[in-house]
Amino acid sequence: MGSDMGLIVKTMARATIPLIGIFGAYVISHGHLTPGGGFQGGATIAGAGILFLIAFGINEAKEKINKSLYSALEGLGGLVFLAAGMLGLSVAFFYNTLWHNGPIFNGEPGTLLSAGYLPIMNLAVGLKVYTGLVSAVFAMALFRRWRK
Amino acid sequence: MTLPFLVILPLFGAFSMPIVSLLGKKLKEYWAVIISGATFAVAAKVFYTVWRNNEILLYTLGSDNPIGRGVNFPIRIVWEVDLFGALLALTITFVGFLAIVYSLGYMKHDTGLEKYYTLVLVLELGMLGIVITGDIFNFYVFLEIMSIASYALVAFRNDTWEGIEAGIKYMFVGSLASSFILLGIALLYGQYGTLTMSYLAIKIAENPTLVAKVALAFLIGGLLFKSGAVPVHMWLADAHPAAPSSISAMLDAHPAAPSSISAMLSGLVIKAGGVYAIARIIFSIFNPGLHTYLRTFNAPAINMDVIGWVIVFFACLTLLVGNAMAVVQTDMKRLFAFSSVGQIGYILLGIGIGVLAYGTRAGELALAGAIYHIVNHALIKALLFLVAGVVIHEAGTKNLNELSGLAKRMPLTTFFFIIGAAAIIGLPPLNGFASKWIIYESSAMYNPILAAIAVVGTVFSLAAYTKVLFTFLGKESERVRGSKEPEKSMLLPMLILVVAIIVMGLFPWQISDKIMIPAAKMLEQLNGEYILALLKFIGGA
Repeated sequence: MGSDMGLIVKTMARATIPLIGIFGAYVISHGHLTPGGGFQGGATIAGAGILFLIAFGINEAKEKINKSLYSALEGLGGLVFLAAGMLGLSVAFFYNTLWHNGPIFNGEPGTLLSAGYLPIMNLAVGLKVYTGLVSAVFAMALFRRWRK
Repeated sequence: MTLPFLVILPLFGAFSMPIVSLLGKKLKEYWAVIISGATFAVAAKVFYTVWRNNEILLYTLGSDNPIGRGVNFPIRIVWEVDLFGALLALTITFVGFLAIVYSLGYMKHDTGLEKYYTLVLVLELGMLGIVITGDIFNFYVFLEIMSIASYALVAFRNDTWEGIEAGIKYMFVGSLASSFILLGIALLYGQYGTLTMSYLAIKIAENPTLVAKVALAFLIGGLLFKSGAVPVHMWLADAHPAAPSSISAMLDAHPAAPSSISAMLSGLVIKAGGVYAIARIIFSIFNPGLHTYLRTFNAPAINMDVIGWVIVFFACLTLLVGNAMAVVQTDMKRLFAFSSVGQIGYILLGIGIGVLAYGTRAGELALAGAIYHIVNHALIKALLFLVAGVVIHEAGTKNLNELSGLAKRMPLTTFFFIIGAAAIIGLPPLNGFASKWIIYESSAMYNPILAAIAVVGTVFSLAAYTKVLFTFLGKESERVRGSKEPEKSMLLPMLILVVAIIVMGLFPWQISDKIMIPAAKMLEQLNGEYILALLKFIGGA
């Protein structure tokens, strides 16, 4: 089954997908400074993925989306989150040792490299949400059995 | 400190499963076995620590102190593990480990196994979180983790209509029950401004408002659903037949789920997410002793006797209806599922009498009996669902009318079943006897009518299991001709459970005195130990 969408939609999608992706990346990476964070940014980027799926059709998406890669990246997002939580395990689980002792992410509050493990966790959650949502929507799009 | 590893290990296993499953075909199964085995070891260590020191373990996330700087109230998530929680953690990891080992053989013919093992580990994680947490919102999060993993596992065999139907039914009503619990937590937070359970207990005792009573009603209502008490038990009876047997041992959505899943549903999920949470909320947040004490000074307080009678009412209903419905079933896993409903009735009866007769010998015995029965029923029901899984796996049907005379083809499985059935009815040399005896004894001490109702429930249970006995004994039917004993990875978990049941049955009163009575005492917290474990950080106590 080919794409149902016309030329205008495809061209607009080509223009907007990078913009949505960049905005989502901005929301994720500034999660500790501005409203938003891992989930919101990840869902925004997943919106770009869904736009791609709808504008270019399932066949195009099949070539671009690798199921194992997305599944592995989702696991990786979770592992990074867990690892960030375990960094300060000598004091307590989820102790923010990067903020208290450094060496990185302990800058002036309000700057990008501050807030200890929070930016790392935002990135991890963003990765997990993006890959998870895209895999879920893609799996549902592939589930095409309206009748036997 | 080993406690955080109780959550870290299954989380690590679940997150790394998609990556590990890319590396090799068989690797994911061994990975799940290793992770759940390691979690069992951690739980054993935590249990031993709590049991030896006989005091509540308090762990703060994010710092070494739960109290905020410059304020004198707790601001962080705390995990509070008393002997009851540690005992349940041990049971959960033990049965979870055996269910995963059983799945090696049982789930061999299914696809999507990396998702299956991820979900089983997540289910175990959710239950472990529930039993160790001391923060009520943290509790809700773990409850949802557990519930969502069990919805997915009940519907795991999505090519069968019963799996999908049971999954949808369980998910719709389960989400409604979860939202009741969330509403109760939101009301408590709005009224008292804290989410730490032991601090909430102080705040409620200072100012017991109507909001607290409404919140308690919402919490108890939602949790009775999760434990499968009678007016809201129907999800359980559908889900277990559909679930893979290893999960029914954990959950109780028995007939639909794979047998391994049924084993987990019945053995663990309804206990961790249901009766454990009910007991924790009643005794740790709304302590009956605290409120009775307030009432003696004519101070405003919550009348906990009402809650006690509500629980006893649903307990009696549950144990009569559950066991009676088990008698008329023709589907093996459905019968076991209704029997699980009936056994939950005994546990709730113990908890209810523990509330009503708080501070007396009868109340303490009833609680000890309830805790003992939680552990015993987890082991027995896990064994029975694993046996049902073997029968389905070998004979290809779970309809009792088509099966008879399996004994000759599967002597070992038959032996396992007879041990399990005898233990659940409560025959003396096995572990079910002592726990039921304590519940009978304490209910007779409190009110003989309740004891009579409990005994009637057991009579029904006896009838139901005698019926299943004919599946194994009797004339060999057409259906069972080709069946044989299952492979070793399925036999071994059942053997371990049988050994545990027999060994626990040989030392009933020692176990009761050494573990169950202290656990009941710590849960009752006659001197407010659960609250004091937190208060000692403030230094004001």
